[in-house]
Amino acid sequence: MNIVTRIWGTLISRPPFYVMAIFLLFMLLVPFLTDDLYLIGVLVLANVYAIFASSWDILSGYSGKENFGHTLFIGAGAYGAAYLNLYLGVPPMLNLLLCGLIGAVFGVLIGIPCLPLVGPYLALATMAAASIAERLTMILSKYTGGEEGLYGLDPITDGPVGDYYLSLILVIITTIILMAIGYSKQGLILRSIKEDETASEAAGINTTRYKLVAFAISAFFAGMGGAFYAHYQMYTGPSSLSIIMAVTIIIVCMIGGMGTIVGPVLAAYMLTVSNEFLRSIGDLRLLVYTGLLVVIVLFLPRGVFTVILERLPRFGQKSRGV
Amino acid sequence: MPASILQIEDLTIYYGKALAVDGVSMMVEDGETVAVIGPNGAGKTSLLRAVAGLTPSSGRILFREKAISGLKAYEISRQGISLCPEGRRLFPELTVRQNLDLGAIMRKDHKKVKTDLENALRLFPVLKSRAGQMARSLSGGEQQMLAIGRAMMSDPELLMLDEPSMGLALMVKESISTSIVEITKAGGTILLVEQDAGMAMDISKKIYLLENGRIRLEGTAQEMAGNPHVKEAYLGIA
Repeated sequence: MNIVTRIWGTLISRPPFYVMAIFLLFMLLVPFLTDDLYLIGVLVLANVYAIFASSWDILSGYSGKENFGHTLFIGAGAYGAAYLNLYLGVPPMLNLLLCGLIGAVFGVLIGIPCLPLVGPYLALATMAAASIAERLTMILSKYTGGEEGLYGLDPITDGPVGDYYLSLILVIITTIILMAIGYSKQGLILRSIKEDETASEAAGINTTRYKLVAFAISAFFAGMGGAFYAHYQMYTGPSSLSIIMAVTIIIVCMIGGMGTIVGPVLAAYMLTVSNEFLRSIGDLRLLVYTGLLVVIVLFLPRGVFTVILERLPRFGQKSRGV
Repeated sequence: MPASILQIEDLTIYYGKALAVDGVSMMVEDGETVAVIGPNGAGKTSLLRAVAGLTPSSGRILFREKAISGLKAYEISRQGISLCPEGRRLFPELTVRQNLDLGAIMRKDHKKVKTDLENALRLFPVLKSRAGQMARSLSGGEQQMLAIGRAMMSDPELLMLDEPSMGLALMVKESISTSIVEITKAGGTILLVEQDAGMAMDISKKIYLLENGRIRLEGTAQEMAGNPHVKEAYLGIA
């Protein structure tokens, strides 16, 4: 069997794969369907959130180690991009890679002390780490621009459509890699850790190592997303480290379906776009939002898209026996 | 004299200040089934968990004459000791097949993994028809079979079973016993912890009776079955 038929076979055999492929192909066509630059701008933001949410998911959604400070990695990427670009003249494209690596380093540094923590303790520790970083941008305002942040980063492409396509390509790369990991041995091991860490250890799995790798991968894509966002806005500030954003990312993943990658990505688009359309109803928006969250947690605790994907058919493969 | 596969010397376990296991010494030889019986809270589970590296202990634990005390649980598992823990401890939201795969996930000998999977499914055919189902949807007996199957998927030299009969109906218990005997016949070495003394005596060669963290009696299954204390307290025969 050659590689093309094999990829095609896998693609059509599982709903998450073909849904994701169809969706991303459609997104590639969007600039041909509309001239509305405002809408394109909203979709760039959705792309960025898709990267943030899916990168959160590969660690927290899969292994159950809920990280409430994902913005620490995003901020590390955003501020990293600002320093590298403003002081060393590193070009934006290279920054995407370098700031991903900076994020990954932070992931390992935070991961090591946080690994033995469980449940609320892990949530609090990661949240505290992000809060400390946000505070530090104020305390060290001489270097970080404080509340004002850092201005004047190079734009990453020459216009809104370019930004849109670049961010979409980043989403595609991120999704392909994260889904490949999610469906690999690494993904299965992370899910076993979520289910019963002691039993994983007893099965010969060095859970510490796998969790740490997950922290690094998760933080890499968050850092990369943060760097893109900084260059896109040509600015970075403490808002890139805010707890509100960290919690928003978690809400996106919960609504979409944790531990699926596809769910959080689709939810990122759904929520970012609806957020913009609901702007016309003003403060009622918050009510609609939180109401939606409550309803989903109550009736679809595994997420909207998890439930939909499970009902879609598989093609081309007989049911997988043993 | 056959080679000893597991040798425990003066094993002591404390939980905080509470003494759970008090200077236990025992031995398991290649190819035999050894059972540890005793009442609730005697320290049976603690003993197995200590061997598996899940509970800290003092004393010496030798596996194939190499000290394994102090190693991490995953290192001990890779040396060839597999624990099928109390209460089954499956991965409930994963499928039966994924549970079995996880038992062998660190192995590199993929061909042997395939035959081991076939063997496990031959031993527990019901798992084959349930392969795509979530583990949580299985009945108690099926879950126990999956737990044993998963433990066997690491191709252990020593299989430790913690209370495999717990909470199971008589018929299911018997089917589990038969499977354990089959594993031994195929050359497996088993260290079994069991509250059901009758079942333990049916399938084991050597029995240790653990009470209050100490070995009170040890002997072959026949010797133990004839002992008045065992008869009265554990077999319900006056």
